[in-house]
Formats: sequence, C-alpha cells, structure tokens
Amino acid sequence: MSLLQVDKLTMRFGGLVAVDAVTLEIPPGEIVSLIGPNGAGKTTVFNAITGIYEPSAGGVRFAGHETRSEFCGSVAVLLLLTGFLTAGALILLCNIESLWEVVITGNYQYRQVFQWKPANIAFTTYFSENSGTRLILPAVFGLFLGLAGAWAVWQRSRRAPEVAAHAGIARTFQNIRLFNQMTVLDNVLLGMDTQLRTRFWHAALRLPLFWRERREATGKAIEILRFVDLDREVNQLAENLSYGHQRRLEIARALAMQPKLILLDEPAAGLNPAESQALMELIRQIRERGITVLLIEHDMQVVMGISDRIAVLDYGEKIAEGTPAEVRANPAVIEAYLGKSDAST
Amino acid sequence: MTGWEVFLQQLIIGLSNGMIIALIALGYTMVYGIIELINFAHGDLFMLGCFAALTLVSLTGDLPVWLVLLLLLVLTPVFCGGLNWLVDRLAYRHLRDATKLAPLVSAIGVSFVFLNLGLFWGGLPLKVFGFGKAAAAPKDFPTLVSNANLLGSSNVEFTTKDLLVLVITVPLMVGLTLFVKRTRAGKAMRAVAQDRLAAQLMGIDANRVIGQTFLLGGGLAGVASVVASLYNNTIYFQMGYRAGMDAFTAAVLGGIGSLPGAVLGGLCIGLARAFADQYIATRWTNVIVFAILILVLVFRPSGLLGAKHREKV
Amino acid sequence: MKLRFHWAFLLVAALVPVVGLFVPAARSLGELLRPIFIMAILALGLNILTGFTGILNLGVAAFMALGAYAYAILTCDIYPFQFGFWPAVMLTVLVGLLAGLMLGLPTIRLRGDYLAIVTLGFGEIVQDSLKNMDVITKGTQGINPLPGPTFAGYMFRSETYAPWYYLFLGFLALVVLLNRNLQRSRVGRAWIAIREDELAASCMGVNPMKMKLLAFSLGAAQCSLAGALWASFLGSSGEPGNYDFQVSIIALCIVIVGGMGNIAGVLLGALVVIGCNSIVLETLTNFLKAHELISSTNVYTAPGNWKYMLFGLALILMMRFKPEGLLPSRQVKAELHPHEPPPS
Repeated sequence: MSLLQVDKLTMRFGGLVAVDAVTLEIPPGEIVSLIGPNGAGKTTVFNAITGIYEPSAGGVRFAGHETRSEFCGSVAVLLLLTGFLTAGALILLCNIESLWEVVITGNYQYRQVFQWKPANIAFTTYFSENSGTRLILPAVFGLFLGLAGAWAVWQRSRRAPEVAAHAGIARTFQNIRLFNQMTVLDNVLLGMDTQLRTRFWHAALRLPLFWRERREATGKAIEILRFVDLDREVNQLAENLSYGHQRRLEIARALAMQPKLILLDEPAAGLNPAESQALMELIRQIRERGITVLLIEHDMQVVMGISDRIAVLDYGEKIAEGTPAEVRANPAVIEAYLGKSDAST
Repeated sequence: MTGWEVFLQQLIIGLSNGMIIALIALGYTMVYGIIELINFAHGDLFMLGCFAALTLVSLTGDLPVWLVLLLLLVLTPVFCGGLNWLVDRLAYRHLRDATKLAPLVSAIGVSFVFLNLGLFWGGLPLKVFGFGKAAAAPKDFPTLVSNANLLGSSNVEFTTKDLLVLVITVPLMVGLTLFVKRTRAGKAMRAVAQDRLAAQLMGIDANRVIGQTFLLGGGLAGVASVVASLYNNTIYFQMGYRAGMDAFTAAVLGGIGSLPGAVLGGLCIGLARAFADQYIATRWTNVIVFAILILVLVFRPSGLLGAKHREKV
Repeated sequence: MKLRFHWAFLLVAALVPVVGLFVPAARSLGELLRPIFIMAILALGLNILTGFTGILNLGVAAFMALGAYAYAILTCDIYPFQFGFWPAVMLTVLVGLLAGLMLGLPTIRLRGDYLAIVTLGFGEIVQDSLKNMDVITKGTQGINPLPGPTFAGYMFRSETYAPWYYLFLGFLALVVLLNRNLQRSRVGRAWIAIREDELAASCMGVNPMKMKLLAFSLGAAQCSLAGALWASFLGSSGEPGNYDFQVSIIALCIVIVGGMGNIAGVLLGALVVIGCNSIVLETLTNFLKAHELISSTNVYTAPGNWKYMLFGLALILMMRFKPEGLLPSRQVKAELHPHEPPPS
C-alpha cells in the first residue's frame, strides 16, 4: 500500500494551470525524486501535499486518509456549542439591563441583606411578556449566526499545514524558512512541538511535567543535531549559521517531527560537491531510520545517486516516471531539459 | 412622515455621509496598498484640513461664495496633500525596510502631533476661532451652502448640501479611477503596490511614487474635509478620531488596498450609521457598525472586495 | 548567578518604601510608582499578544475596562455580590480570559492588519457599551465607592501608601514570573515562531489558531487583572471614558519603547513612558503654576496642552533612531555565548 497517493492533482491559480492532473504513488521506505525544469510545478505539488494549497481538482491521500480534518462528532458538537453560546450571548445582550433591574436592583435594598429567593428572580414572568422579541428572535438569530460563523471558520481551517504535519508529513523549503531569531536548539525543539504534551499551565507553574519533558526534549533535540552534525552550534542563532549549516538545520527541524514522510525542497541548492555527497549520505541515513523521502532537486548527481524512482514534471504535467536509468534515457525528459534538436542525433 | 419617507431620508443622509467617509477611506487605502502602513494620522490630517478650510474662509470672507468654494476646493487639498507628503518624507521614508510596527508607531506619533496642532490652531486669535479664548471648543463653520430642500416642500429632504457632496465626490472618484488605470503615474503606483522591488528594477523611483501616493491620498482627505465642513457646519480638534475610525472600518470592510472597496465600504458604513441612528438608537450605532464589520470578516476575511492574500512559499 | 534586569528592577523597587521611611522624596516616588506597576501589568498583557506572538492589538484598554468594571460590580456595596478582594480579583481574571476568548474566536483567522482594526473597534464598542448600559454600570458616574483590599484581616486604607505599593509590586512580580515561565517554554517558543514565520510554524505542526487564542485569552486576563487593581486603587470603577484609545496606545508604546517581546524592556518602558507623562509633566505644570506663567485663556502656556505633541515627537524620533527599543531581546545575549548550553 502506498504511503502517499497523489491522485490527478490539479492546481489552478486564476487562469494559470500550475499542476495538471499529476498522479504519484510513493510506497513507504523509498527515496523518490521529483525533477523538472523551473516553473514545472514541483514546489506547488509539495504545497498541495502539505496542505498549504487546496487542490483545484484531484486529491492527496496520506496513509489512506485525505490530508484535511474530517467532519466528525466532535466538530458537530463544537459547531452546535458555538451556536448555542452565540444565541445565549445575544439573548443576554438584548435583555441584560432589564434583567439586571428585575433580578438585582429591583430586589436589593442598599446595604440590606440580599436574599436570593426564587420569587425574586422573576425570569419566567419577565420572559413571558414580549417573549418574541426578547427570547425567540435573538435566540434564533444567534443560533443561526453562531452555526454559520463557526462553520465558515471551520471550513477555512480544514486543510491547513498543521493537519498534514500531525498526520506525519514534514518538509523543508526552497528558500530557507528558519526561525532566524531563535537558536539552533530552539528551532529543533519547535519542530518537536507535535510530540510534546506540556500545556500552558505546566509551563507557567513549572510543574514536574514541564521539567521532565524539557529534559527529554532537549536530549532528543541534541541527538538529532548530532545526526545532522550540528551539535556544536547548539546555542547559535539560526541566522548566523552558514548557508550549508542552515540547510542542515532545516532538515533537523523536520526530522524532529518524527515524520513518516519527509519532503525536501532542493536541499542541495548552493552546496559544493563535497557537501552534496554528505547530503546524499544523510538522506540515505534518513531512509534507514524508516522515513520515506520525497525530494525536489536539480542536481542530477544527487538525484541519480540516491533515488529509487524519479518522476519528471514539465509545464505542470508528469511526462515520465521510473528508475534513474529509465528516466535518463527517456526522450521526452531529454527534450524538456535540453530542448528539441533539429537534426537527428 | 410616513415610514417610507423616513427610510428614504435616512438613505439620503447615509449616502451623503458615506461618500465623505469613502473619500477619507480612499486616501487611507491608497497608502496602505502601496506600503502596507495603517496611517493613523490620516483622520487627524482630515481634521487639520477642516481647520485650514475654516482659516481660509476667514481670510476670504468678502469674496463671492462661488469663489470661496473654488479656493477651498483647490487650496485645502493642496495643503493636506503637501502635509501628507512632508510627513512621509520626514517620518516614514527611513522606515521603508523596517518591520511593520516601526512606521505604524511613527504614524501614531504623527497623529498625536496633528492632534496637538489642531488644538493650537483653534487657539489662534482669529474671529472664526473665537479669538483663541476656548481653543478646545468646537468651532462653527459658516453656512456657505444652504440647507434648502431641492425637492420643494416634500417631507424627504435632498438639500443643496447633499447635491454638493454628490457633485464633488462622484466626479472625483471617477477621475481617480481613470488616473489609476490609464495614466503612467497611476500605473507606477499600482506597480509599486504590487511588487516594489520589481517596479524599481523596471526603473520606477519607488520613493517618489510613494510620495506621490501620499500627496494624492492627502489631497483626497483635503477634499473630504471641505465637503464635511460644508455639510456639518462644525469642526473640533478631536474629530479626526471619529473620522479615522470610520475610514479604517470602511477600508477594511471593503478590503484594504482596494479602491472600489473603500468606496463600497464607505457607503456601507454611512448607510449603516444612518439606519442604526434612526431605527435602533444613536448610542448603539458604533456597536452595530462593529458588529457588521465582524460579521463580514468572519465570512470574507479579506473584506468585501479584497484580494485573497496568497503567501509565496 | 546572573541577575536579570527585571529581577533587579523588582528588587530595587521593593526597597523604595524602606528608603522612603527616611527620605521623603523616595516616599513620593513610591506613591507615583503604584500606577506604574499597574500599567506595567497591562503592558505585559499586551506583550503576550504583540511582543511574543506578533498580533497587533490596539484596544487593550477594553480588557482593562472590563476588568475594572467586573471588579467594581463584584465588590461595591450597591450590588448584592460584595465579594472580598481576592475572590473578586480571581473572578475578574476569569472574566478577562473569557472576554479574550470571545474576541479571539471569530477573528483569529484574520490577517494582521485586519485584526488590528478589529481590536481597535472592539476597544471602542466596549467603551460605548459600558457607557450605554448605565443601569448596570452607572454610566459616566462609575461604580463607587469600592472597599479597599484586605490581607490577612488587615484592611487597606488610602492614607498609608506602603501596603498598596507592596500589593501591586507583588502582583507585578507574580505576573513577571508567570510570563517569564511561559516565554521560556514550549508555549513561548510556539508564540515566537508564529511571530517570526507563521506558515513555517504551522508546517511544523504548531496550530496557529489555538496558540493565538491562547495568547488572546492570557493577554486579556492580564489586562483585566490590571483593570481590577486599577479599580481598587482608585476606589472606583472610573468612567468608561478613562479606558479609551489613548490608554491602549500608551500600553503599545510601553511595549515598543522597551523592546518588543522583552519583559525587562516592558518594565523599563513603563517607567520611562508613564514616568515622563505623570512625573515630568506634573512637576513642570506645578512649577509653571507656581510662577503664575499659566493663563487659562492662552492655550499655549499650559504644559499639559503640549503633551500630545511631545509624546508624538518622542514616538517619531524613537522609531527613527532606535526602532528596536531600549532593551533589545535576549538574542544579543545569546550572540555572545554561541557554544554554551542554553541558559534557560
């Protein structure tokens, strides 16, 4: 069964079709590369997989599920709750002054002892007059408004990057997006956020869970940094690292998520041959840890060197797929990269 | 007055006020569109325009009305536009590449300076300002445009003032749209608004274009201040806050950065205020307007006509 | 042990009344510092939103107003509730939490500038609503008089300032501690990541909506606490007009002048901003009045009439020359020690 299934994915931006019915199947444990000329739509495919874009057509299934939150019982409960709360708030807003008079000021003598007698609280008599405008109208309006509003908000949050992240998809970015003002260690700890259970009260009150989890998380983070060979820069600010180190930090941060699938967007960009070799070794070790790798890359040495399979995109369409040897010999691929030759070769 | 007549009357009032709000919102949304700055000082710039207009009136008291109006409509926008341009040059230009909060705080500072200027202006020893005895008090603006009902003796009033608002604002908005769409300067503004670096690479002097935008936006506020002063016949140094709030709300409602959005937002706010004043209660009008804003934003987070913001990854 | 600025500040502040027993100037300083402590708590609440998470909130005065009025309603003897100081304060914090949640829920997905205008509007309508619901809030009269706080049976009186001083200082210290703990934790990390790059943070699994709602609630709760303390300080809820846009802007300026996201900076900022406003201007006005240089008909002579101008110019100049604030964040410290384990 494939880990990731991209099924006739289409992305349209206005009139431009950036991705046109692309189908990909990634079985677990493989290293798959996505290549193609610039503007072919590769990063767009990544963005659709990780939930940044909503597909215009087609779908993405990860571990059998679509990468967006499903409508279930708890969502329905939340929507209804919002509806009822809004209705209640609206009823209160429309009636608060009169109710206050009826309950509090009408019955409370200054400096006397106030008795919360049931007879004092004349809710039923208050609401029985003008029940239409006081009770029914705000209640219905509020319920409708709350439900509609909550529905709109929920719909917009269904496909979001954090949903894909929680499902087990991690990624790096074409233009490095580290948290520059944070240290190397903090960047990795942030990546680990999905694994942590500390809530704000644990943190604010420094409860034992906070200390325990911090110790464990820091240990794990340093281990990951050791894995990418960055453990000597632990307290350095991310923005002060060299370019190559920044790329490795991004990978470390993604690994901290303990993902099942990692998407690397041009990880070898700007690296010299020695660094590229080290990167290839790193990717192999990532695969050995049981993580499936999907890679966008332009450096053909890297691509041919580590990929189990390669898919080729051009102008948003998949034009070829297969082992490195097959792709290398494919005429459509050659044409896309080198252009059509007039004379026969 | 019958119910229908009440409704029509509020419609007219709402549209007139809405057009004034729209004018102010336009200036504000143009500046936001080009440098993503919430220009807090815009409302107070409008207020200073009103004071400038009143001073102008006092200086030209004996001239025929049409000439005074002409001078007002020419000189006040020049004053406001120039002041806006100057403020950009002095306070915001150095902060082009800073974080978003720096120019915002600067704009808040400018707004406070303008507020104080308004207070001091009202203390000038001129007759229109009550010879400076009560600087903080509201000042009367002379009735240069009469309140005569153009619909004769009907219960619904469409006065010369309302006509004035229409006659000034509509052509101005049409002219602005043509300017932004057809002229080179307008195109340059749109280019810088979309992608400043790319525009600079095409040879556009971004700082000059931004300065022009401030000039134009300020000019719009200047026209709005003349129209508002003639319409309401009273000015006070704190009026910038209310005007600014309405303008911000209108611009956000319509979608910040969108010119038609600002006009639509302004009209919506004007109408909402008029109807809320009439059918609910004046004291709750602000709350109603805010509720409408929230409602619109829940269902359309970029405003009514705003473009969906897509982040480049 | 390195002494961080904010602990040093609190320590020195704790000594002021002691010195004040001998030096009268220190005593007057102590009296003036009490509102500064409360404003610092307000600014720290805003700091959670703007400094840590990067959400611009232009209407924190609304939460302060809600806190002040909630506290007043709960403690004043014109209403039957009449809670004691401590239960009332705790309930007020809860009210603030709920108010933040209520404002946050419909608006949390809005882009930064849209959200800023919404918070601005919220500040306005809370003011209006408090004024309009005068059956409950007594309109512009305010709810008063309020009984003073009690501590272990001792009832605070307005004549002796020292107990008030230590009460507010104590609350400030608590708030500083809690904020610091949050900052140096998974929560603070998530907030700062959202401020830096929300998209990248969400790709790492951080739920921006939940974290922003948390920031809203906790920030609002703190601002309401400031409101409750303010009401108890004044002995009255004050009138709705007291919690206007200017208060929100002063809080924002405190956060920015001090150095965004930096707790120590907020404390310093509160000292500088409010100190200038209340201490410097006051002394100047008194000085000029004493020399009869202020005329009621000439608006230009009263120093109080210049405060907007001075404040505005100060902001403009500050942004021009030192936009990062007086105390830039701890990144500076970290830069000096790149190879040591983190100091947290």
